[in-house]
Amino acid sequence: MVAVLEVRDIWKAYDTLEVLKGISFDVQEGEVKVIFGPSGSGKSTLLRVINMLTPPDKGEVFLCGQSLMDCKAELCKLRTRIGFVFQNFNLFAHLKAIDNVSIGPRLVLGMTKEEANDVAHRALEKVHMCDRSHHYPAQLSGGQQQRVGIARAIAMNPEVILFDEPTSALDPELIGEVLQVMLDLAKEGTTMVVVTHEMGFARAVSHEMIFMDKGIIVEKGTPQHFFQNPQSERAKHFLRKLEVLYGQTETEET
Amino acid sequence: MTMGLYLFALFLGLGLGIVLAISRHYGGPVVTRVSTGFIEIMRGTPLLAQILIFTTLPYAFNIPTEYTSWQIIVPDIYGIERVVLDTRILLCAIALGLNSAAYQGEYFRGSLSSLSAGQTLAAQSIGMTKRQEIRHIALPQSLRRAIPAWSNEAVYLPVYTCVAYMVGVPEFLSAATLVVARTYQALLVYLITAAIFLVLVSFISWLLNRIYERIRIPGV
Repeated sequence: MVAVLEVRDIWKAYDTLEVLKGISFDVQEGEVKVIFGPSGSGKSTLLRVINMLTPPDKGEVFLCGQSLMDCKAELCKLRTRIGFVFQNFNLFAHLKAIDNVSIGPRLVLGMTKEEANDVAHRALEKVHMCDRSHHYPAQLSGGQQQRVGIARAIAMNPEVILFDEPTSALDPELIGEVLQVMLDLAKEGTTMVVVTHEMGFARAVSHEMIFMDKGIIVEKGTPQHFFQNPQSERAKHFLRKLEVLYGQTETEET
Repeated sequence: MTMGLYLFALFLGLGLGIVLAISRHYGGPVVTRVSTGFIEIMRGTPLLAQILIFTTLPYAFNIPTEYTSWQIIVPDIYGIERVVLDTRILLCAIALGLNSAAYQGEYFRGSLSSLSAGQTLAAQSIGMTKRQEIRHIALPQSLRRAIPAWSNEAVYLPVYTCVAYMVGVPEFLSAATLVVARTYQALLVYLITAAIFLVLVSFISWLLNRIYERIRIPGV
């Protein structure tokens, strides 16, 4: 079986600052992969490289065996098959929630207005936002905006959805509603790559976790592996920091 | 005549201004330089000089008079026949429009670059092409945002049309001058002229405010 995503030896530098230094991993169908690590470790850049919002200097990305770097004309089409959820939501400010979700299917997938509205409605239902579908982004809370952002991604019916710290810009009370939506998606078998520090989420649904630091993958493993006996000093140190911060009880198993 | 010049110049400037803003904002190195150059020239030289240059173009290139002597004559409400359009008026209107385009282009460019880069990324991430992103995401927002700044140009322009008086276009000020020549009531007539401009400009800015309130994005 071909992996949904194959990331091969990605290198990326901004001027002299090397952000990614040879990252490789695969994502299988139905897999939830969590990427975590300190800020500046290149996690967000890595996600952007995957759908070529930031083209890498070296390396290659394959979506179901098809290279995203082959030719430019195909890129827009391939991108429709990769959902992206942003840290800052990035909703289209001039469109109502429902139009934010339906504009992709309508313009890019070429559906009629009715079909697109149908798809958008179903997507909003999944994120429990139907009652707010006629609000503008600025009239919604952060958590609601992010759920619309997730609906916008799933309306395109992508093969994989990338989440770039989807809860980092939210206050603690709103994180829960977004995580719940993501948990539901994961349980339905959606293929996801999630950059997050929400270790509760990672433990609940992720199949593999990747710990990144300074542009390289320091350690890979199952959640059990990370929470019970991480190998590298860097990962141990980072996880301890997270525990202090969130007061979680990851230590009880060690 | 003043209103005709105004509306023609405003809409020529609007269309061309949007094109200039997009090409300066999104264009490659060549396109960006061409539109920047155009904007700088039009903003950096006096409007009167531009109008003079434009209206003397037919003579400068020795274009035979049979091409330039056409006129469109329409009787006014009193039945007196008036020239509503000839080469001079058209060239004058184009000069005004090009000048206005440079200013309007800068207003639109300002509002284009004030949009968050995140929305562009979001548009790309769902597979939109650059063209779709400009047409459906960037323009609808930046045009709305530009209205308060753009209204500046919309109220300046009727006043600027007075410059056309200098090249003999029968616009509002030249009509006033004609009345002064007949009645010798200079102060009164010019005050009335000024008052009419004031009313016109106030009306335009009121109208634009109304439009802005109508179409602004809720909550932004």
